[in-house]
Amino acid sequence: MLIAAGALAVGAGVVPSVLRQPRTGAAILPGAADARLASDAAASPRRGAVVDLPGLEHANLRIACATCHDTREPNPLNAAAADLYLFHQGLVVRHGALTCLSCHNPSDYGTLRLAGGASVAFEASATLCAQCHAPQAADYERGLHGGMTGYWDTSRGERLRKSCIDCHDPHAPAMPAMRPTFKPIDRFLPPREEHR
Amino acid sequence: MSEQRRIELPVLGGVSRRTALKGVGAALGVTAFAVAVSPLRRVAGELTADEYFQKHYKELDEREKEAVLARLQEAAREEAGRNDITVSDDPPIPGVKFAYAINLSVCNGNGACVEACHRENNHDRDTNQSYIRVLELPRGSLGLDGADSTYTHEVPAPDKFYMPVQCFQCDNPPCVKVCPVEATWKEDDGIVVVDYDWCIGCRYCEAACPYHARRFNWKAPRVPAEEVNPDQGYLSNRIRPAGVMEKCHFCLHRTRRGRLPACLEACPTGARIFGNLLDPDSEIRAVLRHKRVFVLKEDLGTEPSFFYFFDR
Amino acid sequence: MRVGNDRPTTPVPARGLAGYWRDYPRFLWRMLVLATDGSLAFYAWMTALTAVFLVGANAWANQVADGMIRTHMTDHVSWGLYIANFTFMVGLAAGGVMMVIPAYLYHDRRMHDIVIIGELLAIAAIVMCLLLVTVDLGRPDRFWHLLPFIGRFNFPISMLTWDVIVLNGYLLINLHICGYLLYTRYLGRRPSARWYVPVVMLSIVWAISIHTVTAFLYSGLGGRPLWNSALLAPRFLASAFVSGPVFIIATLLVLRRVGSTLPIHDSAIRTLVRIVRVTILINLLMLASEVFTELYAGGSHTASARYLFFGLDGHGALVPWFWTGVGLNVAAAVLFLIPRVAESAGSLVVACAMAFAGVWIEKGMGLIVPGFIPSTLHEIVEYQPSLTEWRVTAGIWAFGLMLFTISIKVAAPVLSGRLGASGQA
Repeated sequence: MLIAAGALAVGAGVVPSVLRQPRTGAAILPGAADARLASDAAASPRRGAVVDLPGLEHANLRIACATCHDTREPNPLNAAAADLYLFHQGLVVRHGALTCLSCHNPSDYGTLRLAGGASVAFEASATLCAQCHAPQAADYERGLHGGMTGYWDTSRGERLRKSCIDCHDPHAPAMPAMRPTFKPIDRFLPPREEHR
Repeated sequence: MSEQRRIELPVLGGVSRRTALKGVGAALGVTAFAVAVSPLRRVAGELTADEYFQKHYKELDEREKEAVLARLQEAAREEAGRNDITVSDDPPIPGVKFAYAINLSVCNGNGACVEACHRENNHDRDTNQSYIRVLELPRGSLGLDGADSTYTHEVPAPDKFYMPVQCFQCDNPPCVKVCPVEATWKEDDGIVVVDYDWCIGCRYCEAACPYHARRFNWKAPRVPAEEVNPDQGYLSNRIRPAGVMEKCHFCLHRTRRGRLPACLEACPTGARIFGNLLDPDSEIRAVLRHKRVFVLKEDLGTEPSFFYFFDR
Repeated sequence: MRVGNDRPTTPVPARGLAGYWRDYPRFLWRMLVLATDGSLAFYAWMTALTAVFLVGANAWANQVADGMIRTHMTDHVSWGLYIANFTFMVGLAAGGVMMVIPAYLYHDRRMHDIVIIGELLAIAAIVMCLLLVTVDLGRPDRFWHLLPFIGRFNFPISMLTWDVIVLNGYLLINLHICGYLLYTRYLGRRPSARWYVPVVMLSIVWAISIHTVTAFLYSGLGGRPLWNSALLAPRFLASAFVSGPVFIIATLLVLRRVGSTLPIHDSAIRTLVRIVRVTILINLLMLASEVFTELYAGGSHTASARYLFFGLDGHGALVPWFWTGVGLNVAAAVLFLIPRVAESAGSLVVACAMAFAGVWIEKGMGLIVPGFIPSTLHEIVEYQPSLTEWRVTAGIWAFGLMLFTISIKVAAPVLSGRLGASGQA
């Protein structure tokens, strides 16, 4: 098991990847995805765990997943951080009944694995998500799910779309609770005491 | 009143004492009145003839409009001490009618849109003014009873849902109908705008709007120079004068150049969808095609260009 | 009575343009002299009103300089004391017609003698209306935008432009009637019916229109369920025909007391009392049917009414205010129905004052403010006028009372024939 790419903020190199979607609206999910995501590869974070082990001289050492997993036998029943040791301590997994190997590819920890067994690059993780989250994936394709910035009129400028894992931690994808920080200051509207 | 005694005054020879006293009284009265209304001088000096006699937006020809924009830009630069401020006036794009939709299943009431609007549109800092209010509503009803936008607790709260409300750019806008001086109107791209230099501040539109979408400048907005958004539009986010109405304009200084509105870009949940209603391939049309949408207070016949929907 | 430094003049010369140019300025001058002459009590009264007016003018000037932030209005309750008083004042102006109708349609001679008081009341009240709207404007300096042909007058779409027309029209109509009657009486002539009776007939219709249009201003707003009622215009008229006549009754009683030369006959007062006996009950009936309709069906559209009647979610600032108004109206109605009350000036003035205050509450703050509470998004922000608003409003009331006092003071000797171009009677 490894600590993988995306929004999981274990290491310093984890930057949200951003999908650039042209106006044509071609599918970014299964199939066509790889080609478009290739352009992002250079910018995507290096995978692996950044570790700061006590006594180790080179702090912030980045260790590739395969360093360990090449030599270990995967346990398909592992589904929680408590089952793991070394790098995975403290990892919160709250994602339905999924186990680690539902998504991670035991035969190549540098990739993810679709339900049918095909491997898929980390950059195309949306393809993996879409297997279960079809309605969201369909909405995403139509531009109805997920945040974006830039241009509504893509003939005039670029639109940057967020990927699934920019907003959803793949290990615990529910949106985190937030606290509103900005409120109108209405005169004569007494600040209500904390709500029920 | 039969007395007709005359007193001799050097100047007013032959004036009755009563008349003289009346004169003194009148002079005192006029003086007192002048003193009473003297605070008016504080504002009278700030207004130039060009500003005072500026024509209605729709009556300005190209040359006059340029002069007005140049004057406003100069004033804005001087006020903020910044040379990067521009005041533009982007026209509607032919073939474009803007519409907005919000996914209420996704919106969690965090209010990032409220703040983004506040900053983008150079709102008054003292009142946290914004064109958006996010209502917290009890689940179990789509009525607005029990609505509250002042909540500060963690969101989403259990058994609540959230509904951001801003101007719906109605196709049958009650606010436009009631304005006595045509200071507010609907543009060709569907955006309801206000000519801040024409509004007389009667607030009839604010009473007429069923969605609390209009705001009044109860005082001159205060925006620290370093926080001023320099990209300003005549009908949108230039800093408003005191005493006039303002409202959401779908960030027309951005959207008329093809950009997304500030509130949409700020939304961390991706609940907001914006686009051209006349383009069959636009996201907003996809919402109408694939989602069951509703508009707020449909029974009033305002025909909003702003839709809400739920995923689940 | 001798006035000012007036010299006896020769009888009115034959009318001609030259004569007019000579007579009319002299008429104005004598009116001005007359207006500023009086007893010590008169001077004290006018000085007090002037003082209040000056305080109001100062408060308004500061409001213009600092912005409407000086008021306690908000984006939630965006109209307050000013517009509440405006609405009431339109009713007062329209209420004067309750003297005109008996005088001109029913040829009540006693009423005819003093009908000008109703018309002068209309003038003062309309001037107050215009001032109350002006002080409510965020940009009074831009009033010219509202002028037809010069600005952009959104007629006939905006009800506010209708209001501008009917209010100013009513002002002109009454100025014409009063001015014409006073001037001809001053010249010692019989007013020619051709020149004013058609205008009087028009003024009757017009009086109805000013209050109907003002009601449409509110009832046309679909987003404000409390106002969005077909009963609003009839209610406005009914309450106007209470507040106008009671104010005139009280004025007549006061004028008698201060020894006015106007021929104030008991029968005129009795006619007005009879009118109030009916209108005050109609007004209460309409109020009751509003209350019933709002409360029996329930629903969120009735939230404003529930806020007004009983309070909502712990907010109830207007509840005592509203029930005070209802109490005053009911008590006044009962008093008016007791014959003995109308017989004594003292008790009649009390009944009038109660009815007047009751309507002021019911149609003023009791109607305008709850229209905004809860807001259209069902948030509750309450409202209480600021000191600035009270001062400005008081200043306008003082100005209106000054206008009314002076105009009666001028009109009385002219109409009673004690002052004319041909000298003192």
